[in-house]
Amino acid sequence: MSNGKITIDGQVLDIVPGKTVIQIANDAGIGVQHYCYHPGLSIAGNCRICQVEVEGWDRPQISCKLQPSDGMVVHTQSEFAKDAREGTMEMLLVNHPLDCPICDQAGECHLQDYSYEVGQGAASSPTAKTNLPKNVPFGSKIVYDAERCIKCTLCVRFCEEVTETNELAMAGRSDHEIVIMTSQGEFETPYSMNIIDLCPVGALTSRDFRFKSRLWFMDFAESVCTGCARGCNVMTGGRDGSFLRMEPRENQAVNKWWMCDAGRLGYKAANVASRLEAPLVRNADGALVQVNWERAISAAGAALKGAPGDVLIDGGATLEEMALANDLAAAMGGKAKYAAATGEGDDFLVVAEKGANAAGAELLGLPRAKKASAASVVIVERGQHITASMRDKSGAVVVFAMDGEHVPDSAQVVFPLPSSAERNGLLVNCDGIVQAISSNTAIGPNNLADPIELIEDILGELDDGYDWRGRDGVLASIRALPAFAKVDFPAGYEAAGVGAGS
Amino acid sequence: MAAKKSASKKSASKKSSPKRGDDGRYPETKILSALFDVKDGWKLAVAKKHGAYKNLEKALKSMSPAEVIDEVKTSRVRGRGGAGFPTGVKWSFVPTETDKPKYLVLNADESEPGTFKDRWLMELDPHLVLEGCLLCAYATGVSTIYIYVRGEYPLSQERLWGAIHEARKAGLLGDKIMGTDFSCEAYVHTGAGAYICGEETGMLESLEGKRGHPRIKPPFPAVEGAFGCPTVINNVETLAHVPSIIEHGGQWFADMGIAPDPDNPRALGSSGTKLMGLSGDIKTPGCWEFEFGITVRELIEQYGGGALEGRTIKAVIPGGLSMPVLTADELDVPMGFDALVKVGSGLGTGTAIVMDDACDMVEACENIAHFFADESCGQCTPCREGCHWMEKIFTRIKAGDGTPADLDLLERLFINIEGRTICALADAAVWPLRSILRKFRHEFLAKMPGHTDPHEKDPHAEDPKASSEPAAVGAN
Amino acid sequence: MSVPPESTASVLPQAAPPEAVAFPPKELKKECEDILSRYPTRMAACLPVLLLAQQHYGGWISPEVEAGVASYLEVSDSHIRGLLTFYAMYNTKPAGRHEVWVCRTLTCWLRGAEKLRQTALDTAGVATCGTESDDGKFLIKNMECLGLCEVAPAVFIDGQPHVNVTPEKLTELMEACD
Ligand SMILES: Cc1cc2nc3c(=O)[nH]c(=O)nc-3n(C[C@H](O)[C@H](O)[C@H](O)COP(=O)(O)O)c2cc1C
Ligand code: SF4
Ligand code: SF4
Ligand code: SF4
Ligand code: FES
Ligand code: FES
Repeated sequence: MSNGKITIDGQVLDIVPGKTVIQIANDAGIGVQHYCYHPGLSIAGNCRICQVEVEGWDRPQISCKLQPSDGMVVHTQSEFAKDAREGTMEMLLVNHPLDCPICDQAGECHLQDYSYEVGQGAASSPTAKTNLPKNVPFGSKIVYDAERCIKCTLCVRFCEEVTETNELAMAGRSDHEIVIMTSQGEFETPYSMNIIDLCPVGALTSRDFRFKSRLWFMDFAESVCTGCARGCNVMTGGRDGSFLRMEPRENQAVNKWWMCDAGRLGYKAANVASRLEAPLVRNADGALVQVNWERAISAAGAALKGAPGDVLIDGGATLEEMALANDLAAAMGGKAKYAAATGEGDDFLVVAEKGANAAGAELLGLPRAKKASAASVVIVERGQHITASMRDKSGAVVVFAMDGEHVPDSAQVVFPLPSSAERNGLLVNCDGIVQAISSNTAIGPNNLADPIELIEDILGELDDGYDWRGRDGVLASIRALPAFAKVDFPAGYEAAGVGAGS
Repeated sequence: MAAKKSASKKSASKKSSPKRGDDGRYPETKILSALFDVKDGWKLAVAKKHGAYKNLEKALKSMSPAEVIDEVKTSRVRGRGGAGFPTGVKWSFVPTETDKPKYLVLNADESEPGTFKDRWLMELDPHLVLEGCLLCAYATGVSTIYIYVRGEYPLSQERLWGAIHEARKAGLLGDKIMGTDFSCEAYVHTGAGAYICGEETGMLESLEGKRGHPRIKPPFPAVEGAFGCPTVINNVETLAHVPSIIEHGGQWFADMGIAPDPDNPRALGSSGTKLMGLSGDIKTPGCWEFEFGITVRELIEQYGGGALEGRTIKAVIPGGLSMPVLTADELDVPMGFDALVKVGSGLGTGTAIVMDDACDMVEACENIAHFFADESCGQCTPCREGCHWMEKIFTRIKAGDGTPADLDLLERLFINIEGRTICALADAAVWPLRSILRKFRHEFLAKMPGHTDPHEKDPHAEDPKASSEPAAVGAN
Repeated sequence: MSVPPESTASVLPQAAPPEAVAFPPKELKKECEDILSRYPTRMAACLPVLLLAQQHYGGWISPEVEAGVASYLEVSDSHIRGLLTFYAMYNTKPAGRHEVWVCRTLTCWLRGAEKLRQTALDTAGVATCGTESDDGKFLIKNMECLGLCEVAPAVFIDGQPHVNVTPEKLTELMEACD
């Protein structure tokens, strides 16, 4: 049975129980501005920027709270609605320091966007602005500016409703209202940095990211955090080879809108000075020297022919990489195994399993390496899964590593491994959900070879009859495995052979 | 109690407002205020002699809760806290079938400027207040009463606590009241200085130990109020009316005062009596009880003693600070809910503030705007930013730095503030300011030497004479 | 891009958290428990308990008392500070031995409140409302309507109302404070 219809900007839409007008409008692609509304938090209705006109009502209504009723006719773009929003914008700007030129939020500030949209360059008054605290530390990671704050209370509600740790509160009243933090000085919640994303203006900034780059100079890519097996969906941001930040991307099945602070800050590993940028081969003097890709591949083939054995792969590697590692081990008559760390989990997002693709490895039938054992090949991104002792005791001759710190002395040939923000591929999270990481070309050294191609090339060295399959072919063989018969692949990977990557 | 007896119990047809005396004086009617002049009337022993709690006994022993609600509905008593909502209707919204506890929160925050009537009731007849609360609790199935008294009323708190202790000792409060199955507790909860906690949902938040940020409605308190449970909220004076309504019947109350207008569904009438107060520029400020019908001018001249020596009255806010002003020409209107709305103002709390010709209206606006700016809870953008902005503009005009464009800016702010917030504080800020600006525009322009009014015929003024009237509007 | 200098102070770790007083002290224990018994939640006791604490600890709530009350009522200290800075009757700074409230709202203003405020400030020897006088004797607070408008102008000294106050009477009252 139908719940009735509502007309928004001329579109006749179904009323969905539990959804307010703003959600119905947004679902239909009618964007309604909002600051204090967030679908994951309670409705505060305080900012008043989402006002719309409802036919027959003489006051503008806030669409974030407005319950639709059958036959209701709403206008978001009428003069009346626009005037109401413009009036609110004017109020917001009367005390807002117009410091967009030095504000980190510039470019993703909703106030800046909307004030542009509603045509208010500045509030229409020479009235003196209220002075409020600036540059206030909220723990060690966040900086608060009360003058920029529009008191939407999203950050406070997040700490009350999502993490239930209540570090933040509103203080003062009237136009001296500000956000304050507990005198404990540090957030108890490991999810605090989500408030930076929530903040619709530049009032909460990441100390880590402050002043690093203007937004419009950065490149972004949709990816997945590999900090633990939850696999929070993220947007990576980089510029000129540096990984600058990671932000959560909404996925209701995985991380809703959030991610943990440790995961968010995990990007730093990609920026270490010791990152490998070219293949290396050990020379007669025992030193690792830079060579070109072809030489490194043939040297790897030779080294493995001389010392065949197992392949030890990082629990954060992709399904495709793990499948090829399996093939590589088979070609040497050995086995592929994966290593993954376990640690603390909580009852929200962070899980104890740290191997971002441990579930994928299990589906592929790879055994989990519990302690150090011999291997000819080690594929290690960061050191958390394949520990120093595992890697050193492996005696591996061919090593894929992101940075030089993780190369054992036994290595004869070393391939630089792109970080997870620079690779493409699939991961299976703790709940069996298959998700794609994708490469952000603005991150990492230039011209790093895709490990998929490298492993295939090495397979070619070991087996004259090897038939190169490419990423799509590898995927097809994965999908053909009985263990994957019932596994859903993300859009774009639905039909085997239609890989998103190279 | 003389007045109670003299009030005719059965009157077939609506009688008109009480007769003015030969001298034209509008008489007082002492129902709520019956004990105001009685020595120690706040003590149980004295109050009982004057009939305290006998109406509670009558209700508990001979009426069902639904019958109590019916009498209150019949009385057409409207809320005395400012909004004038029909009390019986409000009570009937409280769900009867619920497994949650129900609460009554008595609104004794009385922070509306110019308002002190509830304080008189609490200090002089706390048992009447408590009896009213218990009747409401019985009618709506409430088992816990919180009396939210503003922190600045130490004597009211003391007297109410005293009444609670006395009543509990006498079996009038607590378990099995008067031997019936009705049990109910009452506590005084102390506010700590915030006007906004008089707004009913701000009060609930404050009661729960939070900042007094009004809640966004729905849900309404009757369904989800204090601690997430169904809650009745009424003003002190509203509930103080209930014992006599139970004694004499709702019809008796409805027959007093001003009848509803059958042609206007929103004019619900002003039945019964009302404590009315006066403060400001008059000779004898105070608080009196009248059957509805007295005009603002009668109140000021007959009870307030008129203007101070050598002065003339310029403007009156009829009910607290939150209502539009009346000019001296507009005072021949009854102090009633509908009559005042009809002339563009409102009864509010029924306690008027009088300003005389020594009052500079620009400075008065600055003072009023400061109050609302100071007391805005800070949640909503238009109220938080707008009230301060208005204050700053008035300060600018006062200092001689204003221009006529500021008056247009103010008009725009009024539009963008009124009706665009979570609670009515923002409306309350706009109403007095807008009415003063429109009715005393010349005073604002007088502070802008060298500027002429660009709107010679003020397009905003609903009353064309308001802006062109010479300075001495009050002279008559 | 020009990078504004970041004040080093804000980068440094914050001051150590205040050391909470043991709350409630013996003298307040019974009353606090009595207050708690009236409400279904501990949080609801915040306002009355803070008023009690303020009286007990010399007229203001220090960060240490704030922390003590917070842990007693099982709420965060930021919640308590949110209350202290919202309600006009709490002080978060030393409040003098005598607290004088002068009403500033319309009726009192019409009846001479501005003169009263000036008299109070002059007698106390402070320049502005809200700061304790140097000798620690007075705190003058500008308050909104105290509900004594029929006897305006009104003043409270140490919680007790005084009405129809003239500047002379106020000076006398304040001089009588020790
Ligand atoms: C800003 C604001 C302040 C208010 N202050 C008071 C008050 O001090 N006392 C009061 O009884 N009602 C006050 N009210 C009205 C209450 O919200 C509510 O309508 C009233 O308590 C209901 O009781 P009644 O129906 O008996 O009048 C205020 C409303 C607003 C918007
Ligand atoms: S800091 Fe940001 S999120 Fe928090 S209240 Fe201010 S504007 Fe909203
Ligand atoms: S919960 Fe796990 S996947 Fe999500 S952000 Fe944190 S470390 Fe990354
Ligand atoms: S209108 Fe003003 S007082 Fe009312 S909720 Fe909004 S900000 Fe608070
Ligand atoms: S988004 Fe609707 S009021 Fe803020
Ligand atoms: S205005 Fe001062 S007591 Fe009411």
